[in-house]
Amino acid sequence: MSSIKIPNRFVTVLFDTLLGGYLAAILWRVIIPAITNSVAAPFGSTDWIVLCLGALCLAVLNISVNGSVAYLFLTGTLPAHNTGKAVTRHVGWLALTSSILAGWIITDISPLEFFSGEGLQGAGRIFKALGTPNFDIIGEALSAMIVTIFTAFMATIVAVPVSFVLAFPSSRNVMNRSNVERGIYSVLRAILNIVRSLEPIIWAIIFSVWVGIGPFAGMLALVVHTIASLTKQYSEQIEAITDGPVEAIEATGATRLQVLWFAVVPQCVNPFLAFTIYRWDINVRMATIIGFVGGGGIGTLLTQYQGLSKFNEVGTLVIIITLVVWLLDAASARVREVLK
Amino acid sequence: MSAQIQLQNVSHTYQNGFKALHSINLDIAAGEFLVVIGLSGSGKSTLMRTVNRLIQPNEGRILFEGRDVTSVRGDELRKHRASIGMIFQHFNLIGRHSVVDNVLYGALGGMSTTSAILGRFTTEQRDLAMSLLGRVGIADKAANRADALSGGQQQRVAIARALMQQPRLVLADEPVASLDPATAHSVMDHLEAINKEFGTTVICNLHFLSLVRRYATRVVALRAGELVFDGKPTDITEEWFRTIYGTEAEMM
Repeated sequence: MSSIKIPNRFVTVLFDTLLGGYLAAILWRVIIPAITNSVAAPFGSTDWIVLCLGALCLAVLNISVNGSVAYLFLTGTLPAHNTGKAVTRHVGWLALTSSILAGWIITDISPLEFFSGEGLQGAGRIFKALGTPNFDIIGEALSAMIVTIFTAFMATIVAVPVSFVLAFPSSRNVMNRSNVERGIYSVLRAILNIVRSLEPIIWAIIFSVWVGIGPFAGMLALVVHTIASLTKQYSEQIEAITDGPVEAIEATGATRLQVLWFAVVPQCVNPFLAFTIYRWDINVRMATIIGFVGGGGIGTLLTQYQGLSKFNEVGTLVIIITLVVWLLDAASARVREVLK
Repeated sequence: MSAQIQLQNVSHTYQNGFKALHSINLDIAAGEFLVVIGLSGSGKSTLMRTVNRLIQPNEGRILFEGRDVTSVRGDELRKHRASIGMIFQHFNLIGRHSVVDNVLYGALGGMSTTSAILGRFTTEQRDLAMSLLGRVGIADKAANRADALSGGQQQRVAIARALMQQPRLVLADEPVASLDPATAHSVMDHLEAINKEFGTTVICNLHFLSLVRRYATRVVALRAGELVFDGKPTDITEEWFRTIYGTEAEMM
């Protein structure tokens, strides 16, 4: 049990305060209206008061019994000095069960609809249509698939050199000579993390406004995301190299760039290639999805047929996408195996 | 005759607070075969790395051929390092690259970044690399990948790489610690030959007293970062060896 980090007092009080607010909110705004079957009014000042009261309750509980729900969630146990173990546990259970209940209500889970006759009939129709694909559109579908594959390919090709260059200043073991370097490293890492956490689909929306709907917008969206992802993977590889060769090349009087080129790069080439191929594979899948929001290729074609409710055509597209994704996945796995 | 290398009050503490060297004073004359002994963590490797400035000591001065190199930077530091060859316990070759390329990397110190990255080694450099491989007896392996060679062969490539620098001093950081006894002798013989033929100074970290007695012209011992012995290899008695390595140590 020694591996568990004991949360500090301030953090647990803060956590409990937030938990109190959250509990009050889901009880007051979700669960009670659902039970009484009343339509919730717009969020107003009364709601804020309830929220603050809930927060205050748990904060007071935390301080008065000298124990916290945060502690319970983080460690699974309660500290010995807690004088209100039963109460704390009850609040813990309340938080868990009311979250599940609120989740059920919020996501409109309805077994009735899932098993309704009408619903099942509709699903049956679509599955039947998907199962009898219309191969008249095969030419159109294949050329759209080729657009998607090349969108992903070009995005990868454009991103690789940029990521390669960015990976070095994004590696801790390269940027350790001065505080300025450590600063650059931290800023770069932060930017990359932010860019990476924005899904490509968001970038696709941005670029489809910027350069217009089509494969170019899709490619740009993938380029941005690929640069951020590959740079991170490349730099992690750079951080994992052994230092011996670096020291040996430094000892010959080599320049810093020479050290990177002759001692660091050779240790990273194969993993870099493997990451790159895998990224292209991922990009083909992402390019398909990006097509839904204006990134061109087979995704765009699929939304068009789906909008027209032409499910036989949608079936054809689904088969082609599945086949290509499966083939690429198998091929890239094979190549990565060889590179190991 | 003034010493080739002079260490004056050199102390070094690592960032984690480990005090590796404690006020070392040491003069080394050109042409010496100096062996440094001491337990792991006694400061041997750190001492060696202050000489070619892979490490900049916190305190003290380092003079190389009369020039203060304690805090040289940039091109001057490169030139200083280029004049000193170094070999390592784990050889530190570029495993994916060919043997002859690894030897050529010894010439990096005198090349511009671009011509090196473009692989523009001159014919003279290539000839020299091949003849050095011949010297250490593995010219036939020139085109092989470096990591395909045995340990002893890899260390000989490393020696050739160091010689490629046409060094006036060779640093050898436990060069035989990963090798079997027979191979160890062959590697040490190469170092001795360089020392005798070209008059190149050698500073070598070793663990085995038998090798110390066989190859050293002078021995210094370190214990907890301090210089505790400086003398001839024949002056090392078993008793001295025990004070350096602790009472558990056996003569090897």
